Amino acid sequence: MKLIVLALIIYLFGAVTQYFFKENQKCNYLIALNTIATMLAVGGTLGCFVSQSYNQDLMFEFGNTLVNVVLSLDGLSAFFVLIIAVVSWLAMIYSKGYLAKYVEAGKSVNSHYFCFNIFVMAMILVVLSQNIFAFLIAWEIMSFSSFLLMLFDADQASVRKTAMRYLVTMHIGVLFLIAGFVLLNIKTGSIWFFDFNGQVTPLIYGLMFIGFGIKAGLVPVHTWLPKAHPVAPSHISALMSGVMIKTGIYGILRMTQLLNQPSAGLGYTILAVGLATALLGILYATGQRDFKKMLAYSSVENMGIITLAIGLGILGIAYHNVGLKTLGFLGCFMHIINHAVFKPLMFFAAGAVYNKTHTKDMEKLGGLAKVMPKTAFCFLIGSMALCALPPFNGFISEFLIYYGFLNSFNTPNYLLIPVMILAMAGLAFVGATAMVAFTSAYSTIFLGTPRTEKAEHVKNDVPLSMTAPMILLVVILTLIGLFPQYSILIIGGATTELVQFIYPVEILTVISFFNITLLVTVGILLLVRQAFLAGKTVTVRNTWGCGYDKGTAKVQYTSTSFTRPFLGFLNPFYVRVMEFKHIKELFPEKTSFKSKIYDIFEYYIINPLVKFDENLLSKFYWIQSGNTQRYLWYSILALIIAICLVLGGKI
Amino acid sequence: MTLLTMIIFPILKMILLLSLPFLFIGVINKVKAKFAGKQGASIFQPYFDFNRLMNKGEVISETSTAIFRVAPVINLACLIVAAMLVTVIHFEGDFILFSYLLALGKFVSVAAAMDTGSSFEGMGASREVSYTSLIEPAFFIIISSICAMNGVYSFASLAHLFWSNNDIMILIALATVFALFLIILIEGSRVPIDDPKTHLELTMIHEVMVLDNSGVDLAFIQYGAALKMMLFTTIITMTIAPLSFVGSVLVALAIAVLIGIIESLCARIRLTHIIEYTFTLIVAALIVMALVLLIMHGGHL
Repeated sequence: MKLIVLALIIYLFGAVTQYFFKENQKCNYLIALNTIATMLAVGGTLGCFVSQSYNQDLMFEFGNTLVNVVLSLDGLSAFFVLIIAVVSWLAMIYSKGYLAKYVEAGKSVNSHYFCFNIFVMAMILVVLSQNIFAFLIAWEIMSFSSFLLMLFDADQASVRKTAMRYLVTMHIGVLFLIAGFVLLNIKTGSIWFFDFNGQVTPLIYGLMFIGFGIKAGLVPVHTWLPKAHPVAPSHISALMSGVMIKTGIYGILRMTQLLNQPSAGLGYTILAVGLATALLGILYATGQRDFKKMLAYSSVENMGIITLAIGLGILGIAYHNVGLKTLGFLGCFMHIINHAVFKPLMFFAAGAVYNKTHTKDMEKLGGLAKVMPKTAFCFLIGSMALCALPPFNGFISEFLIYYGFLNSFNTPNYLLIPVMILAMAGLAFVGATAMVAFTSAYSTIFLGTPRTEKAEHVKNDVPLSMTAPMILLVVILTLIGLFPQYSILIIGGATTELVQFIYPVEILTVISFFNITLLVTVGILLLVRQAFLAGKTVTVRNTWGCGYDKGTAKVQYTSTSFTRPFLGFLNPFYVRVMEFKHIKELFPEKTSFKSKIYDIFEYYIINPLVKFDENLLSKFYWIQSGNTQRYLWYSILALIIAICLVLGGKI
Repeated sequence: MTLLTMIIFPILKMILLLSLPFLFIGVINKVKAKFAGKQGASIFQPYFDFNRLMNKGEVISETSTAIFRVAPVINLACLIVAAMLVTVIHFEGDFILFSYLLALGKFVSVAAAMDTGSSFEGMGASREVSYTSLIEPAFFIIISSICAMNGVYSFASLAHLFWSNNDIMILIALATVFALFLIILIEGSRVPIDDPKTHLELTMIHEVMVLDNSGVDLAFIQYGAALKMMLFTTIITMTIAPLSFVGSVLVALAIAVLIGIIESLCARIRLTHIIEYTFTLIVAALIVMALVLLIMHGGHL
């Protein structure tokens, strides 16, 4: 615990002292400092997992109980601290290469790095805080600093607009949290989390679930997420997507821990929300042309899978099914780790592409695998992991969740079993859709030939400071995939906070065996291929084009055409808006066609609501006239009312 | 005895499974030839083709990258490991690993097809991922329903389904076999989904994805395609003839003959209607689930 507090102090120290360094030195300095901080935090949390000595409290007393801050490290907090520290460290290293161009162009990165460290610190404080006030303050600092980080390209109007929207959405979320905390406070008369144990009623849980769900990007309150993540610089997107939205999941888990005897209905509800989030998230990811937006939607999907796993765990508790609750929560924590590994990886790779090509439209790219082989490789492995394919880590968590579904059959309940079977099919469909989305994205960005000049001009891969974090993440995700049984230490430590459980080591060992067998088989077959090809002629010719060899890059399949047949039969779930200038005369000059896919929630619910809200509030513009005399009138009026009230009280 | 049943039998089964796929294709082709009134090639012809391809050099597209070269290898490796899951060993949740291994194979095949930058191969890849997207959900509904009924959470739960005294159980077995057979047709790109003998790139699905592959790679791909059909055939044989060796081979041959007959008698569906057709699978799967729930409630016919 002391190590982690020390790490927090270093983050704060770094945030302040980086002002004294030259623009191009700041990053090196912060990497050095944050490396120490990360090592301390990782050491602190791993020490906590190894010794299993949780509940280490640290009290900062300020005389008044309201402002006393208690930081407490239990398995759940330690789990999140570990993820936050590691991912933010990698993001810091990555930012060196990513921001180099901006620094050369003379852009100031002072406030960016300041906010970066404050953001990391706030996230760690969120998961450590043990009272309402400290928690909410840390939560607000986290939201606000990420808002400032998003504004890195604030000279673009669209960035400012999206960032404002993010800030507003976050505050709507906080309203729900405050309502929930107030109810808890009324019920228990305390502000400490440990006093709330067993006091969380379904109503409070529901409010908290909405509040935290907004942060986590659950359907139908996810619409801020796919807008916010793409506009931030890639290392910030990685941090927001890989870590920050998981503080929402942390909140839900914390409330689940404090929950009083969860009912099955609650479990089903959470399961349904999770499944809907996963299905819609990945569906919209498939329809995107902007690759960062696509990754953001994929985060929505993964949050859905995590929530679904929490739903399984709660159902397990409600039905007293040991296998189900164990595997639900283990799957949830495993998927949190996995998502924190592959999503930053994908955003790093996407950022590398953006850095080189200056476009986020994947259909302007193509053929980058030849000039950016490392980035392409990392993106490929990350895509496979995201599609939950063996032998990578994504498969492990999904397997645990599926295995949880199977274990639910031990409870002979005639509602539970069909729901579980259908949810399983739903999750399988999420996997199949993810495959469409990611084969499409990978092939459109990296394979084939360049579609426009933007991709043609790329000559080399990104620098080491950008590739190193990616390669490290690839190594981590492969290791988790090959040796999942050793993850007991971390995910087990977090799970014990929620339920008593038995760890399914045997099944993971079997999976590990098959994953390794798969790699060995690939190796053997490669050797066979080599042996047969040895001494034979291998000719390199142009691609078969039905005898026609003058095709251009434009005839290649794009992501839109690739996903068209698939999205065709899912059309009730999205809105495709097409603009086409019809050809009306002979010898037409120019025409254009545009097609875009919208979220149904955004199109039918959120956008009309926002519009209504804007119309309503615009009626009150006259109050803010900018006229000093009028403001003076307001204060006089207020004074008169106040005097009247006071006097009225006297009489 | 234990040595025999635990080790020798599964290994024999595995060898059989790995050596039969081309015979399966050979039988299909023979049946088709007979239906067309032709003599037809020997049922061992696919083996000769494989041998010929293995001893050739390769022509590789200049657009392609490394994934184009390793994809056939990875695909085949996935299928071989999947073959182990249906023969050598059963463990809880093996069908999940099975399904995801097949998905990995599909992922790399699709990426390799896109790697050539050819619009034809893009078409094939796009169709492949779209048309097979409902297989996994349907497969999971079927197998997990049967698991829920038997309390055995692996492929082993399929055994003895057909040879039960319960009428509903036999209906379940029929629906399962029907759905699995449909999966063979879709995954194997056979009529009425796709015609492996078509000569027009615009209308092909699987064949068009591999237009640029040649030599050893093409041999691997063809073997992989046949093995994939064989894997699902093996799952059917587990339902029908769980214990007997000869029985399962006979069932496999019967399925090959049936595919040959269907290919001779049916026309393929219009491309735009294939996805609707694959919904049949989901319906069959839901029927299995409904029947399982009926049985768990103690229902009889």
